[in-house]
Amino acid sequence: MPDHAILTPEEHRDLRIRTDRSDALGDAVMACITVPSEFRRVQTHYPILFQRDQTRDGFTALAMFGFEAGENLFLEGGRWDARYRPLAIDSQPFLVGRGPEGSSLRQVHIDMASPRIGTGEGMRVFDDTGRPTPFLERIADQLRALDEDYVAATAFFAALQRHDLLEPLTLDVTLEDGSKNRLVGYHVIDEDRLEALDPASVAELHAEGHLLPIFMALASLGQIGDLVARKNRRLAHG
Amino acid sequence: MTVSDMQTDGLDMDRAITSIVIVGGGTAGWLAACLIAARADRDAERPLQVTLIESPDVATIGVGEGTWPTMRRTLERIGISETEFLLACDAAFKQGSRFDGWRTGAPDDRYLHPFTTPADAAPRDLASAWSDSGLAFAEALCAQHAVCSQDLAPRQRAMPDYAGTLNYAYHLDAGKFAALLARHATERLGVRHLRDHVVGVDGAADGDITAVRTRASGRIEGDLFLDCTGHAALLIGEHYGVGTIDRGRELFNDRALAVQLPVAADSAIASQTNATAHAAGWIWDIGLPARRGIGCVYSSAHLDDDAAADTLTRYLRATAPDAPLPDFRPLRFQSRHRNRFWHRNCLAIGLSAGFLEPLEASAIVLVELSVDALLDNFPATRRTMDLHAARFNTLFRYRWDRIVEFLKLHYVLSQRDEPYWRDHRDPGSIPPRLAELLQLWADQPPSHADFPMVDEIFPAASYQYVLYGMGFPAPRRTPVRTGTRGAADMLVQQVDRHGRMLAAALPTNRAYLDALRHAMTSATMETRA
Repeated sequence: MPDHAILTPEEHRDLRIRTDRSDALGDAVMACITVPSEFRRVQTHYPILFQRDQTRDGFTALAMFGFEAGENLFLEGGRWDARYRPLAIDSQPFLVGRGPEGSSLRQVHIDMASPRIGTGEGMRVFDDTGRPTPFLERIADQLRALDEDYVAATAFFAALQRHDLLEPLTLDVTLEDGSKNRLVGYHVIDEDRLEALDPASVAELHAEGHLLPIFMALASLGQIGDLVARKNRRLAHG
Repeated sequence: MTVSDMQTDGLDMDRAITSIVIVGGGTAGWLAACLIAARADRDAERPLQVTLIESPDVATIGVGEGTWPTMRRTLERIGISETEFLLACDAAFKQGSRFDGWRTGAPDDRYLHPFTTPADAAPRDLASAWSDSGLAFAEALCAQHAVCSQDLAPRQRAMPDYAGTLNYAYHLDAGKFAALLARHATERLGVRHLRDHVVGVDGAADGDITAVRTRASGRIEGDLFLDCTGHAALLIGEHYGVGTIDRGRELFNDRALAVQLPVAADSAIASQTNATAHAAGWIWDIGLPARRGIGCVYSSAHLDDDAAADTLTRYLRATAPDAPLPDFRPLRFQSRHRNRFWHRNCLAIGLSAGFLEPLEASAIVLVELSVDALLDNFPATRRTMDLHAARFNTLFRYRWDRIVEFLKLHYVLSQRDEPYWRDHRDPGSIPPRLAELLQLWADQPPSHADFPMVDEIFPAASYQYVLYGMGFPAPRRTPVRTGTRGAADMLVQQVDRHGRMLAAALPTNRAYLDALRHAMTSATMETRA
């Protein structure tokens, strides 16, 4: 059970957060949410897929780490084998909270039930005087970016739907040991429709700042090959 | 002439040096044995043989509890993992020394000499950035100041062995350290260990030592003999009569009262040696996971033994009010060293070579440096040994002189008024080279130009920390520009940010060492299960 609390220097003066990476610390996940403003950085390592959102009438972008639930192919012996980690996973166990009803003030919340809550070792959040550490300053920047862009993502997906640029993806992967993996229920950019867009639509997408993330999402699909290679390596090494 | 002498008359000067006999089994002997055996080429045509003779009759001194950062390289070379070392020796991290009360004796009088060099800039820029900052020198220019003030470790457990975000050394239990080295030398490095008492020395006609005679095992022959017999100096002193140079006119301390206090399981472990000045000397305070080692160092010419005991008692009452007072262990020493350390085929290593008062913990590092110097220029045959010995003697005479000067620097800038401290400022007690440097440093900060050797024992940075820590003013501006002043202004801010970052990332010494012990215990239990 998550145990969310508002982060304060009074309550969390001595708190330490473990920043190593392992299954036990909650990193064994096949994907995490990503936002269009970080697609450029995410696509250097991870495929970006879109998933229809059950609660919001729209889509969510996901950075993929594996092919099945609980599988993270970037996790190797206590480290994460990539130079960049998506904001949503890198900022755990912190979350964005809102102030009192009607307030636009963002608060940093923390899940005190997270296994990342350290004892003795790990990154401190406040120093002895109660001042936020550079670690927390970075986390706060990440949370701010995530929160702003999660809202902006609604416009991005609305534009994709308006121009009918999403197509369902079904991916069958046959691994070297002959086993098959299948990714279903995801969407990607429809490349044919993108190429067929009329100049006015392209100009409109460009003006709204959607063109760059569209192409970054498209480029990210090249990383599916890397993910397959990681899976094969893992199978080969038991 | 004895029969044994006749056998070795007409020495073969081209014979290979392969058999090394170490006499004495304290920290110096075992450290030398490990370093030599670990660096010996086992595939050599005639591999090195190391024999260590340890007398069952002689107790080791065993109060050397501080190392230099060189110990990390030494342990890595020897092939002991950092985890094994830390756990087996009840060791903790040492990141420098803190000097309390050295300048005036006032309650807020303290400065830190951290092991990490100051931010990277020209010395003159550093000095002016510091003096503009209004902070203490080390605080302004080295992030280790922030780390030490919060009792933090210099590394995280996930880092590779012997790597740190900051430069560091160790505090350790000297008895356990010698025991670990002995185990490692005999069980893993093939060192031959003889528990026997040396009763005599056999010499050849030309003056070389051919063998030492032991009570139960007879003659032990060798090509090179290391005298690690401590103050007794059986070979270099008793046998060869190589003289010593007294440094007591410069460094007055000649006695100490040592004590060990157990500490609570969850108490903070200090990141540095604390050295607190008193009327006629100073008190060391070294934190290990399970105990504090404390000692009152003093000059018997300035303070009698009862007054020293009172001084130590007051310190213990002030820093550990609830602990019962254990008995004090009295130690006597002289600050002096040999005028030669390597004579013929005998090299003195450890206390037999000399000893200076324990400030700056120079004893163990001199053992490491001596063995490194031996191995880096190893005499392949007897013919070149005298040339190597002459070089070694020049190098180490230089090093002992620099250590004496650096130790003296801690005293000469004090404003304390007791006779002991006034005597330390007597020009007749100050080495001439140090007196010259102090004149130069009025105009320019300590720099590479003052310490031109490739492998100086103390870098200019160490002198800066002590000089400015003791309140020496920043040098006057000169008419020559350095051209880097602008960058220097940023330094203090960068150091502050770096310090905050490290303080967020590093565990306390206690948390680190507890977690290490815990991880090792659970791993052992898993292996057994």
